[in-house]
Amino acid sequence: MNRRPQHSSAYLEVTIIAHKEGQDLPTKFKYKKRNEREKPMALDVLLQAQENQLPDLAFRYGCRARNCGVCTIDINGKPRIACRAVVRDGDELKAMSTLPAITDLVVRRDQISRQLKGKIYEGGRKNDLNVEASEDYHELTSCIECYACLDNCPMHEKNFSETEKDPDYFQWGNPFSLLKLQTIASDPISTVARKEAAVTEALNLGLETCVSCPGCKCGVGIDLKGKVIKPLLQTSKLVD
Amino acid sequence: MNIDLEWRNFDVLVIGSGGAGTNAAETAAKAGASVLLVAKDPLSASDTKISEGIATVRASGSEDDTEEVLSENLKIAGSDLPVEEITSAFAKDSQTAYDKYRENGLRPEISSITKGPNSLPLPMGGHTRRRSVGHKNSGLAFGHANWNAIVKENKIEYLEDCWVIDLVTSEYDDNRRTVEGAIIYDAQKGKLLAICAPSVVMAAGGLSTLYFPKTDTMRGNTGDSYAIAARAGAELVDMEQTQFLPFCLTSPPSFEGLLGGEPVTASYLGVLRDKNKKVILDGVYLRTRAECSAAIMKAVEDGRGTPNGGAYLDMRANKRAPKSGTYFMKFLKNSLPSAYNNVRQAMNKKEAQCDELWEVRPSAHYMMGGIRVDANGKSIADKNSNNGVQGLYAAGQAMGGLFGANRLGSTSLTEGAVFGSRAGLAAALYSRNFNNKKINKDLFFKEAYKLDDLLGQKGTKHASQLKIQVQKECWNNLGPIRDKKRLKKTQKFISRCRKDLKKIQIRKNLLWNQSLIEYLELVNMIDTAELMTYAALERDGSVGGHVRADCKDISIFSKPYSTIVKVRKSHIEVSKIDRKRTELKKLVEFKFKEQKRFLEAKLLRLLPMRLKDAIIEKRYKKIMGSKEQAPPLEPGSIEAAVGDQRVS
Ligand SMILES: Cc1cc2nc3c(=O)[nH]c(=O)nc-3n(C[C@H](O)[C@H](O)[C@H](O)COP(=O)(O)OP(=O)(O)OC[C@H]3O[C@@H](n4cnc5c(N)ncnc54)[C@H](O)[C@@H]3O)c2cc1C
Ligand code: SF4
Ligand code: SF4
Ligand code: FES
Repeated sequence: MNRRPQHSSAYLEVTIIAHKEGQDLPTKFKYKKRNEREKPMALDVLLQAQENQLPDLAFRYGCRARNCGVCTIDINGKPRIACRAVVRDGDELKAMSTLPAITDLVVRRDQISRQLKGKIYEGGRKNDLNVEASEDYHELTSCIECYACLDNCPMHEKNFSETEKDPDYFQWGNPFSLLKLQTIASDPISTVARKEAAVTEALNLGLETCVSCPGCKCGVGIDLKGKVIKPLLQTSKLVD
Repeated sequence: MNIDLEWRNFDVLVIGSGGAGTNAAETAAKAGASVLLVAKDPLSASDTKISEGIATVRASGSEDDTEEVLSENLKIAGSDLPVEEITSAFAKDSQTAYDKYRENGLRPEISSITKGPNSLPLPMGGHTRRRSVGHKNSGLAFGHANWNAIVKENKIEYLEDCWVIDLVTSEYDDNRRTVEGAIIYDAQKGKLLAICAPSVVMAAGGLSTLYFPKTDTMRGNTGDSYAIAARAGAELVDMEQTQFLPFCLTSPPSFEGLLGGEPVTASYLGVLRDKNKKVILDGVYLRTRAECSAAIMKAVEDGRGTPNGGAYLDMRANKRAPKSGTYFMKFLKNSLPSAYNNVRQAMNKKEAQCDELWEVRPSAHYMMGGIRVDANGKSIADKNSNNGVQGLYAAGQAMGGLFGANRLGSTSLTEGAVFGSRAGLAAALYSRNFNNKKINKDLFFKEAYKLDDLLGQKGTKHASQLKIQVQKECWNNLGPIRDKKRLKKTQKFISRCRKDLKKIQIRKNLLWNQSLIEYLELVNMIDTAELMTYAALERDGSVGGHVRADCKDISIFSKPYSTIVKVRKSHIEVSKIDRKRTELKKLVEFKFKEQKRFLEAKLLRLLPMRLKDAIIEKRYKKIMGSKEQAPPLEPGSIEAAVGDQRVS
């Protein structure tokens, strides 16, 4: 195990960058450790900041246990799941850069789900329900929808070169949406038509971008490259 | 007025995108209704999504698990507070309702014997049959199913980041009210919505955030369901019945309150000990959550609590047994994977391996009481079932009457599907009577003006900080152990809080105004807590999730009753309603069997090691097939996650 040097101090200083009406306002915050051995998570820091210094600070969280997927923020420019990301002295906490910021650390999220609205139609038949799904299927449903995978996705980036500033849904896809589509494609109760529709939809979202992309990375360790992108590229015949 | 209202019309408004809300929306839409589903959290982010993902499916473990058996099991476990009509509905629909999650992508392991969903190897604490079906990726699998249900077709409109502030109702005679719609704060768009809908399904979850951080639930459980419904005139039932999960973590701080295990986790030889290591509860794996929590809190009250105000869960004996010990660890990891994951991250190696004691403390988990409804989720009141709030339906944790004094593990995901579907259908059918209903806009404006006054309110206090005070108060005085003095104290505290509400600073802007959000939730927390104190004072005896240190236990053989609370113009009304007691013969039989199991468990524990080891090994072998082995690396586990590490 790699041990980092212990912080001897009773405090930890971080910078919280709040988004306010289009501007980024940094605030220094000194986190008081609750015991000397504590290695607080980013969420602990935000909660204490709200309690002691920034009472109206806006940030998302839910479960505190890396399950609900809503607390993702950028720490030093990289997406991290705030409730399970250990914070170090000097860290910078900010809204996720890959989605439009609303207030402080809160970003708008629903443009992602809306891009699949009405597009994953029912396809299972009731009498097929007693079949087991593959391990790959289950790996995909371990997605917590944290959107950490949007980071550095060239397909997702295309959304921001469009003219419309804040559309209802994103036109271009992202690893999460492709994961949802591949889940349908690998669901044992999906009909052939439904599987094909899922792949067509992936193409509509811009799957060809993946051909020349080094691949995406998931915040909870799902093998996106191997279990989402590769099978989609193969079924869509974009690669052999 | 400074705020513009955005007007929309729907047949059915569903509040909440957990299991209950999703099933309600899907069923209502299938019945032809135009549906709007709103949630304050992102789509499908809810208790349902973060749950252990274990669902009750009748007869999944044994053929003799009839509807009567299941319904009676719930009723007796709830100390006869549950309403028979509602427990029967649960038993009747559990399989078909579960299949709705499957139609949306939930894929359980299939048993080679029953050819249906495979149930966990042991009945969960308090269940008389094996009927709890676990799932890969726990609640996330349910979260995806719910997400799919809403997104897959164009039928259901949904909005996230929307806080329902209040229902809009009209009064038709003497305190009887009809739903007209709701006023909703859309934080994402910075708008106020006036949603006109003849029926509303309340599925906005529970109230465990009253006890934060001593809870394992989502932050949004601020009692909104109950407070909003009560302000609209609905009756609430059994509001003293908070479920505390007994085995939650006490430290480190980031993990405080999270789930460590369930009674079943303790397996055949686990016991609870006080700070002096004296056994305070035996046969833990057979006990209900309420029994375990009460045992811990009574020891704490007695001054025998552990340093963090809990008790020790001792599972060393399971582990030490030479042969069966290896099965035990497998059992522990497989039966509750995400709880065990919490343990592995929060505790040291020896503890995680069960070679040392776990310090555990109850955490708020679920409200068993809730909006008083019939078996179709329709709000009811008085003796006459037509006297509830017309057009109001409730499902999931928001409703009461299903679990009474104790909820058995794994029943709530099923509850969401059963009553979500029933309420959704009932709401859709009800709304058919209101085609082209004339809208009385003034009623909406009246609610909206209140908000107009709040925006820009000047003051020195902050709602987010007052919330923390409320949470401390609730844990100390309205928590897992209560008495009259403490409850009265809480009532005084609440009236002081109400005065403070006027001193809270609220910003003026509408776009994601956190000070407004905190304020709205604070009010719901206070309203809910107050209603709870009335119910808790009315119930002057301990039963289930309500433990009174100053009163005797209420015997299961005494005449059962439920408490009812409701808000009237200037005061809160509290009353009792009789419940039907299970036939004496059945109760005696149930109790006798239960005592027999406890005794057997105790005797087994006291047998010489060689003997008990052999017996237990046989049992594990029987309950754990070859399929039960954990995969080497589970996605979502700490080993797989980037940026995660052990904390202590
Ligand atoms: C850690 C954990 C493990 C659990 N494990 C299990 C298990 O294994 N088996 C089981 O059966 N049960 C389990 N439960 C219990 C079960 O998950 C919940 O009781 C159940 O999911 C509640 O479902 P619901 O639909 O009623 O509410 P929720 O799923 O909590 O959904 C509430 C919804 O209401 C919305 N909402 C709240 N207030 C407002 C408002 N004012 N305006 C708009 N929207 C609002 C929220 O955003 C959310 O969408 C567990 C719970 C937890 C916390
Ligand atoms: S695929 Fe991974 S990173 Fe992307 S949303 Fe899902 S869990 Fe998060
Ligand atoms: S492989 Fe495709 S989805 Fe993944 S990051 Fe690259 S472009 Fe985005
Ligand atoms: S708070 Fe739920 S994932 Fe972080």
